[in-house]
Amino acid sequence: MNKIVAMAAKDIQILFRDKLGFFFTVFFPLMMAIFFGAMFANLSRGPASIPVALVDEDRTAGSQRFVTRLEAAGGLALDQIPQEQALDQVRRGQTGVMVTLTPGFGAALDNPFRITPEVELTVDPTQFAAAGMVRGILLEAAGAELQALMSDTERIQATNDQNRRLIEQFAPPSPARDDFLTFIDLSARVPALVGQLGLDGAPTDAVSGGFGPPLEIGQTEVQAEQRGPSNSYATSFGQAMLWILIGGSVSFSMSIAIERSRGTLMRLLVAPITTRHLLAAKGLACLTTTLVTSTALITLGITVFGVTPTSYPLLALALLCGSICFCGIMMALSVIGKTEQAAAGVGWGLALPFSMLGGGMVPLFLMPEWMQRIANISPMKWTLIAYEGAIWRGFTLNEMLVPCAVLVGIGVVAFTAGASRLRWDTG
Amino acid sequence: MLLFDHVSKSFGDLRAVDDLSFELEAGEVFGLLGPNGAGKTTAINMAVGLLEPDEGVVRFAGKTFDRDPREAENRQALGLAPQSIALYEEISSADNLRFFGRLHGLKGSDLEERVAACLDFADLTDVRKKAVSKYSGGMKRRLNLAVAIIHDPDLVLLDEPTVGVDPQSRNAIFDRVEQLRDDGKQIVYTTHYMEEAQRLCDRVAIMDRGRLMALDTVRALIEAHGGPGKLAVQTGDKESIHDTTDPLGTLAELQERETVEHFQYRPPDLETVFLNLTGRALRD
Ligand SMILES: Nc1ncnc2c1ncn2[C@@H]1O[C@H](COP(=O)(O)OP(=O)(O)OP(=O)(O)O)[C@@H](O)[C@H]1O
Ligand SMILES: [Mg+2]
Repeated sequence: MNKIVAMAAKDIQILFRDKLGFFFTVFFPLMMAIFFGAMFANLSRGPASIPVALVDEDRTAGSQRFVTRLEAAGGLALDQIPQEQALDQVRRGQTGVMVTLTPGFGAALDNPFRITPEVELTVDPTQFAAAGMVRGILLEAAGAELQALMSDTERIQATNDQNRRLIEQFAPPSPARDDFLTFIDLSARVPALVGQLGLDGAPTDAVSGGFGPPLEIGQTEVQAEQRGPSNSYATSFGQAMLWILIGGSVSFSMSIAIERSRGTLMRLLVAPITTRHLLAAKGLACLTTTLVTSTALITLGITVFGVTPTSYPLLALALLCGSICFCGIMMALSVIGKTEQAAAGVGWGLALPFSMLGGGMVPLFLMPEWMQRIANISPMKWTLIAYEGAIWRGFTLNEMLVPCAVLVGIGVVAFTAGASRLRWDTG
Repeated sequence: MLLFDHVSKSFGDLRAVDDLSFELEAGEVFGLLGPNGAGKTTAINMAVGLLEPDEGVVRFAGKTFDRDPREAENRQALGLAPQSIALYEEISSADNLRFFGRLHGLKGSDLEERVAACLDFADLTDVRKKAVSKYSGGMKRRLNLAVAIIHDPDLVLLDEPTVGVDPQSRNAIFDRVEQLRDDGKQIVYTTHYMEEAQRLCDRVAIMDRGRLMALDTVRALIEAHGGPGKLAVQTGDKESIHDTTDPLGTLAELQERETVEHFQYRPPDLETVFLNLTGRALRD
């Protein structure tokens, strides 16, 4: 065991002397973390529109007119989906706010003198700010709708005629009925009066003031089960830790080729140790380096960049499994490339497409559906799932077991395949 | 202790080592002399367990033991200085020695003692903390040799330890080999320089194209295969060369006939032995 540790320690010592290798295993991932974290942080601070799940239970011309008005207003990214799906999205933290137009909404909108139109907000409580903005935009749209109604003489005449008929039909003649009918007749003249007042361009509530708020907004809260990352660095540090694994596995796969071309492999093979010890030492060196550098990186993320893992034990588990996977891959890579250049070429040649596919460059959830499905063959994807599961997705132990099992499985298979095919001939 | 018994090794059609037999004797420097491609390194690689013979056996054998170099633990007692320099250039000579010492089970103060002794042996104590990449060729060669003996092995195999080294450094290496011999190590020394074999080796195995051509002490080899020496004589403006085993007699004979102004005698050496055995010169 001492000999294995000595060999692993030597490899690590050499890695840290090799400036390029050190760069790829330690600094490159750190720079990625800060760069992408800062980039996405800026994006999310910008005037992006708020994602809103819109459920139209009314399905009338009126409700659709309101939706069109909301879309035109800007500031919201509307997604019209069925109620169940919308609720699910809020629960999962994919959407912060859900807006429901209940049955009768359209009718109320067309006849605001009888009933105030109502919408129902379903809100993830962490998204209060977003909900507030959604409220504002909804009120504005309803106000604009009311103003449009008031300034449309034909439509208001039609509404008034309809209301007059209803009143005459159901209310017995009385002084109150007469007063009310007079009021309705007068209201038909509001647009003309507004025109004469020169109120164009004034806030909508100056006009609709007489009728109360243009929209009644109810609100319920739904606790999101899984929230998105609280902080864009939570994603970028996950990716950076993946790059540590990639850099580490390529560096160490090269180290066997380097030992061969330098002739030191011959000395190792002549020493009184078995080839199994040699393999174990290479694996241990890779595992130690990736674990230590990943831990250092995420510690930096936690202390300086405000990353808050949802579970430290699961994070430790994810780190261990990710490292096992990539140290196995390291062994397989070192079989394919016999010379330093070949090992590096094969290593990076495979690492780049697989990590692109696995979400190492662009976050997985931004990829098209079909690509996400192909990504299942990428160990990078499973690593990211495990890392993100522990950092911000709030995985349970059970949820964590799937990616971890896949990672350890890939690692063991790759290590065994590589180790058994590794040719020790030094010529 | 090291025993080769009818050992052969082929690479494809090429018989790199062909029916090689010899046995090392206690406390000797054993030379493997042969031109490029003779099979010296292949033989060494089999001796240290890097290669498995196709035929025959390679053993560490004595009265009470018989061990296969392919088994890891049996290699504890041997040290190899490979033909091409094999060192970790990024780290210092002390760290190289320390690492290979640990690999052979040394630790603590024992390890540090051996590291210091080997640095001294290689005359690298002053530069022990410098990265090996900064060393000259001669310094690397000496370290390459020192690493082979960090664990104080009984059997030391030196594969062309003077390749690419200037005459001064070469002499330094000769001194060290002699020092190892005086410490009672058994040494296998391969070279294609006959002067080295002649100076250092107790017995020499002459190899060519994988085959063992002759094996004996230097003196016996020359006696058996050296043939006559060469006596070059200048008389007047004439120069002549005479083959002779009795240079004084031949010179006296010549002087009876004419006045010898200059003469030079070159006794037979391993070069002539090789030429007589193979019909070719040792150096290409
Ligand atoms: N791994 C190998 N694969 C194929 N051929 C080899 C291998 N190793 C050695 N040979 C061949 O075997 C022959 C003997 O090589 P070897 O290296 O043992 O010679 P050598 O006596 O050490 O020569 P040199 O003085 O050049 O070091 C050479 O022809 C060489 O090309
Ligand atoms: Mg050789």
